[in-house]
Amino acid sequence: MRSITITPQKAFCISVEAENISPDKFAPLTLSQIKSLVVWQGNRQKTLSELFVVEGDDAPAKAEELTIRLIGDFSQVKRIGEGMTAGVVLAEESVGMHAGNNMLGGLLSISGSADDWLAREMRGGKVLVMGNAGNYVGSGYRGEKCGMRGGEIEVRGSAGAFLGEHLCGGSIRIAGDAGDFAGAANQGGTIFIGGSTYLPGAEMSKGTITVKGEAKVLPSFQKTEIVQIDGLAFQKYAGDLVDNGKGELLVGVGSS
Amino acid sequence: MGGLKEMIIKGGIVYDPANGIYGEEMDLFIDQGRMALQAKGEEIDARGLLVMPGGVDAHSHIAGKKVNTGRIMRPDDARQGTEPRSAVCRPSTGYTVPNCYAMGYRYARMGYTTAFEAATPILEARHTHEELEEIPIIDKGALTLFGSNWQVKECVRDKDLAKLAANVAWGLCAARGYGVKIVNPGGGEAWGFGANVKGVNDPVPNFDVTPAEIITGLAQANEMLNLPHSIHLHFNNLGKPGNYTTAIETLDLLKDIKPSRMRQVVHVAHMQFSAYGGTSWRDFESKAPVIADYFNCHNHATMDMGQLLFGSATTMTADAPLEYGNARLTHNKWSNHDIELEESSGVVPMTYFRKMLVNAVQWAIGLELALLVNDPWKVLMTTDHPNGSPFVNYPEVVTLLMSKPKRDLEMATLHEQLPKRTTLAGLERELDWTDIAIMTRAAPARVLGLADKGHLGPGADGDVSIYNLRPDEVDTSLDHALVKKALANAMYTIKGGVVVSKEGRILAAPPGRTFWVDATVPQADADRLMIDLEEKFAKYYSIQIANYAVQDAYLPHANVIRAGLSVPQEVA
Ligand SMILES: [Zn+2]
Repeated sequence: MRSITITPQKAFCISVEAENISPDKFAPLTLSQIKSLVVWQGNRQKTLSELFVVEGDDAPAKAEELTIRLIGDFSQVKRIGEGMTAGVVLAEESVGMHAGNNMLGGLLSISGSADDWLAREMRGGKVLVMGNAGNYVGSGYRGEKCGMRGGEIEVRGSAGAFLGEHLCGGSIRIAGDAGDFAGAANQGGTIFIGGSTYLPGAEMSKGTITVKGEAKVLPSFQKTEIVQIDGLAFQKYAGDLVDNGKGELLVGVGSS
Repeated sequence: MGGLKEMIIKGGIVYDPANGIYGEEMDLFIDQGRMALQAKGEEIDARGLLVMPGGVDAHSHIAGKKVNTGRIMRPDDARQGTEPRSAVCRPSTGYTVPNCYAMGYRYARMGYTTAFEAATPILEARHTHEELEEIPIIDKGALTLFGSNWQVKECVRDKDLAKLAANVAWGLCAARGYGVKIVNPGGGEAWGFGANVKGVNDPVPNFDVTPAEIITGLAQANEMLNLPHSIHLHFNNLGKPGNYTTAIETLDLLKDIKPSRMRQVVHVAHMQFSAYGGTSWRDFESKAPVIADYFNCHNHATMDMGQLLFGSATTMTADAPLEYGNARLTHNKWSNHDIELEESSGVVPMTYFRKMLVNAVQWAIGLELALLVNDPWKVLMTTDHPNGSPFVNYPEVVTLLMSKPKRDLEMATLHEQLPKRTTLAGLERELDWTDIAIMTRAAPARVLGLADKGHLGPGADGDVSIYNLRPDEVDTSLDHALVKKALANAMYTIKGGVVVSKEGRILAAPPGRTFWVDATVPQADADRLMIDLEEKFAKYYSIQIANYAVQDAYLPHANVIRAGLSVPQEVA
């Protein structure tokens, strides 16, 4: 196994775009080649080693045999693990926007929190966040009709608004609450929310949204039956009928 | 960067069909930004390489409100093709609807130096010129929409040809436009009431006229005004199965009109979309052979291909009911726009699929048209950017036309029913560099009436493209991948005597010029017209007539071409 460690040289007040921090990009390169990969800070092009201390094994190895450790605060560093297909990225603290977007495989594990657009348009692999995630987790970016298509996102804390917007597949699990409009325009993915949310599933045409806590349900959802899941009762709804949707919404009965 | 340097292009294999030069080894000279018989100065080594005039695109949607609507609707498109700024270039974004800067850089990289925006309503022309001015390097112009205009229809109804000509001249001047564009005539008006016109003889609601009368009236006015370009026509029923009969019927209306210049009477926009057989999408088939036959037997019309390629596109047109149909068909997002007394329009993003039979047939029709029409001067190579595909894919279209093996390779990946619906599989013709130089340079310039474009004779604009290809060695049929790569990034693109692009790198980004046509008409006709217009503006328009016309300040690099009744007729 090859291991590379990256540590910011200082706190960034202008955010950094670092889509090159990915096992796939590092895999064929020696340590010195990795250090000269391009990152952008604002509108200035820099090398990775101008902004970060880069240490670790020198010899190139396959992406699946590579672990990238991010030490320190990466909350101003965007696009970590973008498009990665294999390998592991471990962040000890928080990461910035667009982490894991277009991810195809491997593991992105974040011990702190993630900013907005976590794993947007993800297609495979796993993203795990121990803290909270921002808005638009697993959704499609502006103008896109399809968000996450496959893979798995797990957030142990809470998530912001528009969780899984335009979801086309895959599964998202939030232990805590989700913000407004969770699962908007869901076209076939699965969402589980351990806490509460507001107006889930607007414009959903397919897929399943389960809310263990409370949810304000749109009037365009029709109550069907009460179902039992793991010994808990859930009210089942069909919708969104505004869009002739065939989606399933399940909201906990009498919890919290 | 001075444009006035002298330059010698040494030893290229030159294709300049307008001057009867078909692959001759020769030196070219540029002086004061124009082709010359002699020059000194900087030498460019083009020994053995393919040299042609700068490319001319006569039909492309590059500027104005609907292009910008496409950008606003498609932030997903903006993300594709982003390039950071450089010392010379501003940042680029987009693929089907690139930002203004990217339009200029991408045309220049391919060796193109001129492109015309194909449809601008007068009311929105100011926006078009604001964008055209921001497109660097290339020369430009914009065609002006007249086909659903209230004043036009009233002049046609009253059979007042002199007033109609005055109306066209006034509209071109107000829009700083280059020529007469007609889109689904009458349909834009009918769409205001949720309807469409169904053929050339279907009356336009509330106006006692038919599309046939609008088309022939505007064609006659166009020739009365001796305009450099002919009418530029998007047929009724475009994009519908069985519409080839409308195409033939419309072309027949125009065959006896005498052109005022050495050119066609009508240019047909994106013919591919109007060469459809069948009664529905289920029995949809190509009628390209019938259309090509018509063009082979008549000399009053030219066409551009409107080639469709698989992948992402953004459809945009002043044919609003067509876009409503597209939006219903694809369940995609849709923009619909009403332009007061002038037009209506729409924008719908689109993806064309290889395995979708309809899309495969559309792909084949464009190629069939170009291969079945014998005279390359009648067929311009376009993709109706970005309706059929973005213009950056022109090298793909050219290689498909030059290589039967490439077409066979492509067809093997398409829907298996394709050979039953088109004749493409049986077409052996492979175009050569002379054909390509005509269809991408000489013919578009002649069709538009741009005397100094599309050729390399003395006095022509110093626009030259040099490609890293040896015409004497490369087998364009077999080495199609090599040809495509070379065409995507010209070795040199020279614009007005300045090297603007070298091997895909933009070296200079000077502003291009904007061509427009100022046509004079008898004062009495203009006066009669003004009485009508003043009433319309007072009653119906949302703005005052005094604020309507585009001011010259919006065209700091204007190139005015004079036309009209006082201009002496060319002697044939
Ligand atoms: Zn067009």
